[in-house]
Amino acid sequence: MLRRFRLEEPESVAEVSELLGRFGDSAKIYAGGTELLLAMKEGLVRYERLINVKGVKGLSDVVIDNGTIRIGALCTHRQVETSSALQQKLPALVKLEQNVANVRVRQVGTIGGNLCFAEPHADPGTLLMALGAKMVAEKSSFKREIAAEEFFVDAFETSLEADEVLTEIRIPTPETNSRSAYLKFGYLERPSVGVALALTVNARSISDTKIAVGCAGPAPRRVVEAEALLDGKSTQEAMQNLPAAAVIAGRAAEANSDLHGSQEYKEHIVGVLLKRAFQSLVS
Amino acid sequence: MSKAMSRQHDAQFIPVSFTLNGRSQEIEVEPHELLLDVVRDRLGLTGVKRSCDVEVCGACTLLVDGRPVSACTTLAFEVRGRSVLTIEGLAENGKLHPLQQAFIEHGGFQCGFCTPGMILAAKALLDEMPNPTEDELKHFMHGNLCRCTGYKKIIESIMAAAKKMRSKA
Amino acid sequence: MQFQKEVEISAPREKVWQFIWDVDRFILCVPGCKDAKTIEEGKRYTATMVEKVGPFKVEFPTTIEVIEREELSRIKAQASGADNKIGSRMKVDLDVSLRTQDDKTILGFVAGVDILGKLAALGHGIIKRKADQVLDEFAQAVKQKLEGDS
Repeated sequence: MLRRFRLEEPESVAEVSELLGRFGDSAKIYAGGTELLLAMKEGLVRYERLINVKGVKGLSDVVIDNGTIRIGALCTHRQVETSSALQQKLPALVKLEQNVANVRVRQVGTIGGNLCFAEPHADPGTLLMALGAKMVAEKSSFKREIAAEEFFVDAFETSLEADEVLTEIRIPTPETNSRSAYLKFGYLERPSVGVALALTVNARSISDTKIAVGCAGPAPRRVVEAEALLDGKSTQEAMQNLPAAAVIAGRAAEANSDLHGSQEYKEHIVGVLLKRAFQSLVS
Repeated sequence: MSKAMSRQHDAQFIPVSFTLNGRSQEIEVEPHELLLDVVRDRLGLTGVKRSCDVEVCGACTLLVDGRPVSACTTLAFEVRGRSVLTIEGLAENGKLHPLQQAFIEHGGFQCGFCTPGMILAAKALLDEMPNPTEDELKHFMHGNLCRCTGYKKIIESIMAAAKKMRSKA
Repeated sequence: MQFQKEVEISAPREKVWQFIWDVDRFILCVPGCKDAKTIEEGKRYTATMVEKVGPFKVEFPTTIEVIEREELSRIKAQASGADNKIGSRMKVDLDVSLRTQDDKTILGFVAGVDILGKLAALGHGIIKRKADQVLDEFAQAVKQKLEGDS
């Protein structure tokens, strides 16, 4: 049983933002509810009002717009995993979405809701970070873009302001020789370790390397220090630097010991996944 | 709608018109009511089960517009304007659906607790992929857990039903 | 969960000791702590702890009991509280020590923190991180209050 709450059904982003501003902590945005309702059922959070954003139009489209791929925040995981446009442009993201939770969660859970709830053991944020994604945050008449690196602050905490609404995820269209991969590991219900790697393979060297680690720590993190060991190097040199990069990436995950594994174990797995991801992209 | 139901003077009620197993329904629900509770307690259809209560096990699987959802974590008002299928609505005029028949013939259930959810999920699978590979089947059914059978007979049942359904189509 | 912290304070030992017993200022160095009250001077205090991890907020009305006291060098205390809204309890066993090093005072804590109930559903790792953060901020706040005053 859930505690009683009032349902608000606004029809515009401005209205949503206004409601959030007016009711503060006692109100929460409700989309698919796959995380929120669980927390409410557990009694971990209480809200007097839920703001059903599914009535706001225009937030669940996938648009390929010149050099940018735009995914509406209200797109369900299922929409993303079945999008032929995304299969073409971002197959790694489609594969990730196909493997989120289970078919029922994917049916109603939204990618925006997943990012905003910022549960540490989640997949999309990590890959989006390696893809150079920007989150579009709106309130009333003001819009801003937040780089993924700045979006994820801590466990269950994003940099969205209290009355801001995530409306869209913008990903620069990958270049022709650009490749990306997301590998995850876990045997509990939620993933324990996730590693994303994006790079461009040129004739003599690798460029535009981006590495992100997630699930093991409180939030997805970019690992610029490890990227430097691979970026601009020949494939062979990068391979030689891989073990060192793996150690750096492991530490950058900010892993802590819990049921998912000890800190050392998670750091080790981060390294393993990074190596496998790299091998899968350059061979 | 029960008039005996006491109402708080400021309670919010949402009218929900939907189709349940092919029949029109009109009910009123409060925003916080869960679909699982409404289907089991108010509508008396107890095939759908509360099991893990955290969307992991699939025993509460219902089909909404043909797609599987976790009734334990779905607010009841969300089915307004939609069609809902429960296990009770699968057989037509007393004739079992090929999936139900296959589960019987191939031993796809033991205690039966996961079975309504399992069959509904399998229906959604076959509606989407009439000829799934075993990998595709396993991936789709990944979120429906069974403690009794070890899954082998479930897979056999679904594949047998799929074959039957393809030959009829 | 066990934590160990040490902070170096540029202030004499007596001053640090006195500060600890200045309940209104000391307890308020704990982030999220408010409404500190003395029930029995030197023995019993109460305060309210408010902590937040993302959308999850807890409010623990807390009782702090001083169990042992060694003038100018050691305090053993126990804090406990319950948040009935969220169905969780908190217990902290605190061992505070002071020692002099050159002309500075080293303030050390050993804290055993137990969180019971629903809140544990958040995950041991997250709670540990939060508790660690709170203790770190506490140590830094004490240092700043003492050094800032001199």
